[in-house]
Amino acid sequence: MKEWYEKIQTAISVEDLENIRIAIFGKKGLLAKQFEEMKAVPNEEKANFAKELNTHKNELTSLFNEQKTVLQTKELYEAMKAQALDVSLYSTTSRKGALHPVMETMDRIVEYFSSMSFSVETGPMVEDDFHNFEALNLPKYHPARDMQDTFYFKDEMLLRTHTSPVQIRTMLHTKPPIRMIAPGAVFRRDYDLTHTPMFHQVEGLLVDEEGKVSFANLKYILEDFLKYMFGDVEVRFRPSFFPFTEPSAEVDISCIFCKGHGCRVCSHTGWLEVLGCGIVDPNVFKAVGYEHVSGYAFGLGVERFAMLIHHIGDLRSLFEGDVRLLEQFQ
Amino acid sequence: MIITKSWLNEFINIEDKSADELAKTLNSIGLEVDRVVQYKIPAKIVFGSVLECEKHPDADKLNICKVDVGTAVYQIVCGASNVRKGLHVAVATLGAVMPNGLEIKPVQLRGVDSEGMICSASELGLADASSGILEFDSSIGKIKLGQELCENRYLQDTLIEIELTANRGDCLSIYGVARDLCAAYNRPLLKIADGEDDERRMGIGRILQLTHADDLDVNLRYKAIEIKELKLPFLISLRLSQIEEKQSSELDAFLFYTTYTTGVILRAYDYNFFKISDDAEKKAKISLSLDNLGFATIYAKEKVVSIVGVNQQDCSKMPENEGIAIIEASYIAPHIISKQMAENKIESGPLFYRTSRGSEPTLNIGLNYCIGLFDKNSSSEIYGGSVELCDEYESVLITISVDEINSIIGAKIDKTTITKILQNLGFDISKSQGTNFVILVPRYRHDIVNKQDIVEEIVRLVGIDNIPSKPFVLKEKNPLSSGYFEFKKLRKYRHSAANQGFFETVHFVFNEKAKLQEYGFACIDESLELLNPIVNTLDTMRPTLMLGLLNAASLNVKSGYKDVRLFEIDSVFSSARHESIKMAFIYSGDAYKDGILNGGRSSKMDFGAFVQLVSNVVGDVDLVAYVPEHTLANPYQCAKIMLNNQEIGELFKLHPIVQDAMDLDETFICEIDFSKLSFNLVEAKAYSKYQASFRDLSLVVPNNLTYDEIQRVIKESKSEQIVRFYPVDKYIDQSLGENSSLTLRFVLQSLEKTLEEDDITSNMNAILTALNERLGLILR
Repeated sequence: MKEWYEKIQTAISVEDLENIRIAIFGKKGLLAKQFEEMKAVPNEEKANFAKELNTHKNELTSLFNEQKTVLQTKELYEAMKAQALDVSLYSTTSRKGALHPVMETMDRIVEYFSSMSFSVETGPMVEDDFHNFEALNLPKYHPARDMQDTFYFKDEMLLRTHTSPVQIRTMLHTKPPIRMIAPGAVFRRDYDLTHTPMFHQVEGLLVDEEGKVSFANLKYILEDFLKYMFGDVEVRFRPSFFPFTEPSAEVDISCIFCKGHGCRVCSHTGWLEVLGCGIVDPNVFKAVGYEHVSGYAFGLGVERFAMLIHHIGDLRSLFEGDVRLLEQFQ
Repeated sequence: MIITKSWLNEFINIEDKSADELAKTLNSIGLEVDRVVQYKIPAKIVFGSVLECEKHPDADKLNICKVDVGTAVYQIVCGASNVRKGLHVAVATLGAVMPNGLEIKPVQLRGVDSEGMICSASELGLADASSGILEFDSSIGKIKLGQELCENRYLQDTLIEIELTANRGDCLSIYGVARDLCAAYNRPLLKIADGEDDERRMGIGRILQLTHADDLDVNLRYKAIEIKELKLPFLISLRLSQIEEKQSSELDAFLFYTTYTTGVILRAYDYNFFKISDDAEKKAKISLSLDNLGFATIYAKEKVVSIVGVNQQDCSKMPENEGIAIIEASYIAPHIISKQMAENKIESGPLFYRTSRGSEPTLNIGLNYCIGLFDKNSSSEIYGGSVELCDEYESVLITISVDEINSIIGAKIDKTTITKILQNLGFDISKSQGTNFVILVPRYRHDIVNKQDIVEEIVRLVGIDNIPSKPFVLKEKNPLSSGYFEFKKLRKYRHSAANQGFFETVHFVFNEKAKLQEYGFACIDESLELLNPIVNTLDTMRPTLMLGLLNAASLNVKSGYKDVRLFEIDSVFSSARHESIKMAFIYSGDAYKDGILNGGRSSKMDFGAFVQLVSNVVGDVDLVAYVPEHTLANPYQCAKIMLNNQEIGELFKLHPIVQDAMDLDETFICEIDFSKLSFNLVEAKAYSKYQASFRDLSLVVPNNLTYDEIQRVIKESKSEQIVRFYPVDKYIDQSLGENSSLTLRFVLQSLEKTLEEDDITSNMNAILTALNERLGLILR
């Protein structure tokens, strides 16, 4: 009997164990034989014999089950090992696409102003002289029209040179108070290293009752916005000139590359020009028939923001669809 | 506009201001600084005088000079062609280190000792005034031999280039910038001395007569000068080089220098040109009237001589630097001349830019300055008095209160500060009462016409940095406009496309018309076309995004990408130039990355897989066979895309001819009308909680029958228990002749119960019956 215990314990595979099981527990197996022999045992010893035999049966069964689990597990692991992979072969690069850095920058800008309760407004790219120039205090022959080399169509329509006509359209179809931004493509007839005939702007406008909107308000929101976009930078306002705002200012941030010490990007000035803004000129309100109101407006070039934020050196590369640039934004 | 510190110093005392301070102030008052150049002349370079100058015995081009530098006389060998006895020169003495790093040491040149170097402008890092060595004169102050050049403020100067905004014509001169700085620094403007009329001189009236039409809207003032022995002083030639100006004659240089300094437009005419030969008194006669285009024109003997503010005929100019010249100072209001020029573009001279931006209207400033120059640098005789014509001008009057100013600025600026600023700017506020300012604007500030302009002046001189920021308190108003939802919709689809592996691109909305027409696209009507395209490859507004994407794909293949996946959402234009937004995809090349998974050989993208990607972005789509008008598509793999039974766009395999022409691999393109994509909230439907069953049907289908017809019949005849069906296999074999075998899979499910075999059979039978009756299809 003892040797059977050993046999179970030394079985080397589930198959081997199964053969042992048949040899012990099978119809013609060891136990069956033992029970057969019990018939020949004298009656007074029968109870003991049976008891002993049952104990062996139980012990063998539990030993068998135990050994079976061990062997099954072992075999499972051997099978798994046979399928082992060199996982390091499967290192991979993503096949995700990506959003364009200019569009993504525009989205970030829109999100900021949306959260500051500015509405988002849109307008057509093909505009007329009134919305693009006249209503914005840029009458014909105004020298400032030189600043914006314009694409014209044969029917005297034009491609908007800024997103400001959207302000005019919005003011013409709604009543103050207004708090809006207008993101979109704009066009100037200029094509060289630092100019493309199409680029993107986001323009902002706030209009409220007369005497309510001040230059100090404009300063507040732009300082906050520029810190949101560029992190911890210094913001500087310089008086400037735009026909549609007065007083007007250009806004600089301390150079994000050299921290204001002066480098090639900031032409060694320590400052980067990023925005134009001002108090809305009364002639603009007059053009849309608004009375007793005050307001501020600002505008920025999205490509410039994207190039500064993402350290992109070549403006024209933004319009080429080159995956070598785009895949970096996954 | 380039200015220098010493030049500004003629009109405002800023000796104490460093270059940095000056740049900071200019920026803060709105004169944007583009460039600052600090001239730094090294030590040990001193003023010297050439006592003797003799030819070198062994070298043709060398001279041996004895140069007095006050404390000593050195022998210096000099190669410059302009070196001569008596010159005042710059001497680099022994031990001086030149800007290029060269140290001056005693040397022998062809056997002659030389102890120092006589310097040219470029050797000292100065603007290149002339070739050869510098020839100093008293225009840069009294010359003290031996004094270091770096102590001279005209040489050790600071140059600043500023960028002027279109409204600031008043700062197109040194005098104008100085005037603005006076307000910033609260310092007086140093005036230009009036030229005193010498009684001994003959009056101008004796030689010049002006006749003119009425109401000419121009200001003119004439002086006459008999020019003799004109000599351009060193300082003027130095400064003209600093501002990168070259004038053809000394007289032109004097006039240009005056205009640049004072802002007054000056011209010189040859007196003889106007002289009436048969006039006994030999008087010159200038007549002035409007020409047929409306320009104020100056005539001599009925010939056009010049147009005020625009140009001057060469024949009326002084032929040389001697003789009697009529000097004309002129002013015409910028809005008048700009308008005239915009209406009739005539040829304009170099000064037109100034007149159109607003030149200096106080003509005497320029004339007096000019005469001062002639007095100092020539033996010219100046005729007494002047001949003039004045227009009628009414000053701009603006009334504004302290409170109005402060409410626009959003800060409290007191009356005294405002008063000071306005006075320093030259505004006449003598009529003001209490807290109300009544402001008379000087004529040179033609850009100031309303209250806002006054506030702008206060803001720039107070300094925007000194205005505290204040948050705006807003009234509640729902900002969620249609524009916002359009933005959200764009964002949703852009993200979806990127998540399906497509890269977003942005292209110009311009395309090449010839190319578009070659591919059969309808372009903008000729009458609505772009008038002034920038290049002929961008000469029309695109009707499709596809061309841009194709070009980009081609570019990427050339730079080594085996699979190119791009998309774009932007505007396109119809032939009526109507703008709409489209979304387009392009997929070119491998369907997967090559790598361990496919043994380095990926399969190519195919029609079905491309449709799946597009569908992952835009939703469930049905495709209908279609042949487009353009020739980009392979007509045998081209479809109209339907979304909720509405046509939304097209999807196709690129035509092999185009594919080859653009060096592309298998390429698929899809373009969709973005407005037709949905951005609605989802309405949840009831769904079954019971098990679904699957059944396949293999049908014998004639090859000319498209799946969409089979699909239509099934849709019309199926019960609600068939929740979905789709093709899973198409088997083509010769044994089937003109037919093929199409296997469809049906998903059956009920909202009420688990379907029994009988339910399923009856459903499938109904489908089979319908297909057989309507299309003659049988089971295989």
